[in-house]
Amino acid sequence: MATTVKSPSALTLTPFTLWVGGLAIALLVGLFAMLQVLLNGLQVTGLSDIVPWGLWITLDLSSIALGAGAFTFSAAVYLFRIHRLEPLARPAVFVGFLGYTSAMLALAMDIGRPDRFYHPLIYWNVHSVLWEITWCVVLYSMVLFLEVFPVLAESRFFDRLLWVRRLAHRIHGLTPVLAVVGMGLSLLHQSSLGATYGVLSGRAIWFKPSLPIMFIISAVAGGMSLTLLATIISSKLLHRQLIKPDVKREVARVIGYTTLAYLYIKLWDWAATSYYSSAPGTASAIQRLQATTPYTTTFWGIEIILAGIVPAVILLYQPLRRNDRALMVALGLICLGVVVNRWNVTLSGLVAPPAWSPGVLGNVVAATYFPTITEILVAVGIFAYALLGFTLGVRYLQLYNPRKSH
Amino acid sequence: MTNKNPKETEPSAPILTRSDFLKIGGATLGAVVLSELVISGPFSPDAIQGIGAEAHPHQGSSDHQWHMAIDLDRCIGCLYCVRACQAVNDVPDDEMRWNIVFPERLEDGTEFFMNRPCQHCQEAPCVRVCPVGATWVRPDGIVAMDYDRCIGCRYCQVACPYDVRRFNWKTSDAPNPYQPTWGSAEVPRRPRGVVEKCTFCVHRIDRGVEQGLKPGVDRSATPACVVACPVGARIFGDILDPESPISQFLAANTTFRLREDWGTEPKVHYVRPRKKEA
Repeated sequence: MATTVKSPSALTLTPFTLWVGGLAIALLVGLFAMLQVLLNGLQVTGLSDIVPWGLWITLDLSSIALGAGAFTFSAAVYLFRIHRLEPLARPAVFVGFLGYTSAMLALAMDIGRPDRFYHPLIYWNVHSVLWEITWCVVLYSMVLFLEVFPVLAESRFFDRLLWVRRLAHRIHGLTPVLAVVGMGLSLLHQSSLGATYGVLSGRAIWFKPSLPIMFIISAVAGGMSLTLLATIISSKLLHRQLIKPDVKREVARVIGYTTLAYLYIKLWDWAATSYYSSAPGTASAIQRLQATTPYTTTFWGIEIILAGIVPAVILLYQPLRRNDRALMVALGLICLGVVVNRWNVTLSGLVAPPAWSPGVLGNVVAATYFPTITEILVAVGIFAYALLGFTLGVRYLQLYNPRKSH
Repeated sequence: MTNKNPKETEPSAPILTRSDFLKIGGATLGAVVLSELVISGPFSPDAIQGIGAEAHPHQGSSDHQWHMAIDLDRCIGCLYCVRACQAVNDVPDDEMRWNIVFPERLEDGTEFFMNRPCQHCQEAPCVRVCPVGATWVRPDGIVAMDYDRCIGCRYCQVACPYDVRRFNWKTSDAPNPYQPTWGSAEVPRRPRGVVEKCTFCVHRIDRGVEQGLKPGVDRSATPACVVACPVGARIFGDILDPESPISQFLAANTTFRLREDWGTEPKVHYVRPRKKEA
């Protein structure tokens, strides 16, 4: 009803075509930059032996974290049977699918030998947290594909391919099973991504058991935020109510409490590792970071205040929560906070490496890192892919208000 | 209250049906098997020493344990060891040096030259994190690399607290300025996109042991840096052999290892530099 059907020949410059066209151009530029990476290797990046991980790992960690809405809403609807959240399950799974495919794209760029991407599947090191993550991400991406497949199969493209529809119907019947499997895999790898840093016993600033916990809680908050934010924005642009206002506010409140829980754990993480103790590795690393990088601003200013306390207040104070603009700002800030947190965690441990020569003055020079243009363009291309995917999904798929197929 | 299922009201209904019993039993059995695997099986934390070894048999024997000592009090900073390493292991790029020597200063002002090859940790953080088992601790203690298996994720670089690992950011096709003055290439160059590091010149050790030579004593079986040192600041050998140069050196000198508090159990031992009288 609400969607107006235009004649196919009229390709006018509507805001929609401009938006899609812009994203397509960004995607093409990104693909060109990716080609540069594949041809010339990682020398085109700003990475070094001291800082071997940078922007792409941040993108990778962030897009997986922000895709966590998929397992959260699937588990809520199909496992805990909170049926009023069902309208959010489909968009969440779709956002998750885009997030995980973005992450795999970024990873393919980031490894030195993309031709050996399958090695973790055939050569096992069960003691590596990265091996476990690789397996979980591969399996969970399959789960996400199976969850998205019925949505894709509903599109008009498959109108004549009835066997696709039948297959989709069968897979759709598996949804509760997929939700359980997906939650199990997500509970493993979302936290293991934090453990990637948390298990490194030689790097004091990372070595702590709180990292996996903080990663999964921020992923749940960020994943729900992105799904809700994308839904509200789509709803504004389509001038159509996609989810009921009370569902929207209830989810917002849950995100608020999750953010509060995250801030509480983060407070004690900081208090225990920095304020009440002076673990030599952590203390000297943070000193060097504060002296040579904008770490104070990015940690306290952005992560804690702007992306933690501010959105928590907005989401938990009813008059603000009921205001759609304030709500969108809060959700956007939480997503930003997840990205900045992943950047801070990665870079803090690398830029301020541990001092390994004992007895010397400990004046280890802090390394520097800034991504090159090629690196940034690859990231822009991957981001454009995700945005384009969601735009087309909202336009051409039944992400919201699905037809009753039963 | 209406109950649609009359069975639930029957007092004789068993607490556990047979299928319930089987389910609970199966789950318990599964949990026990899983815990057993994690506690003592191939997934146990102790099994790290077996990582990658099954795929690389016949490499090194536990009859030897190769260690190195570096006497920081003797080192004069001539960089002979650095250049010999670059020539023999064919590392043309100075930024890719496996073995570095640089001026340092102790807290009491003593100036000396710090030496840092790979520490060949027995509990190597890099080995634990490699997702494909491309790096492993050999039975003779050497931390080895499989360049054909490495995917270039660089997690080992992130994990190594000693900064010994080097990534091939680009194809290395420049001529090696240290050949033939300091030696000639004894191993092939590594391709772009994989991580490399000091190997204790494992090719010399393996060939030497095969020929009945003694690494640390016979020059052709000893790491290039040890052979090149003009002041005898580097000592190498098998600590299981009490007659080896390394065993005798460790018995006669007080040594320390880098950051033993990390629990990495390195196999490179250092002698602390003494304050020079002006």
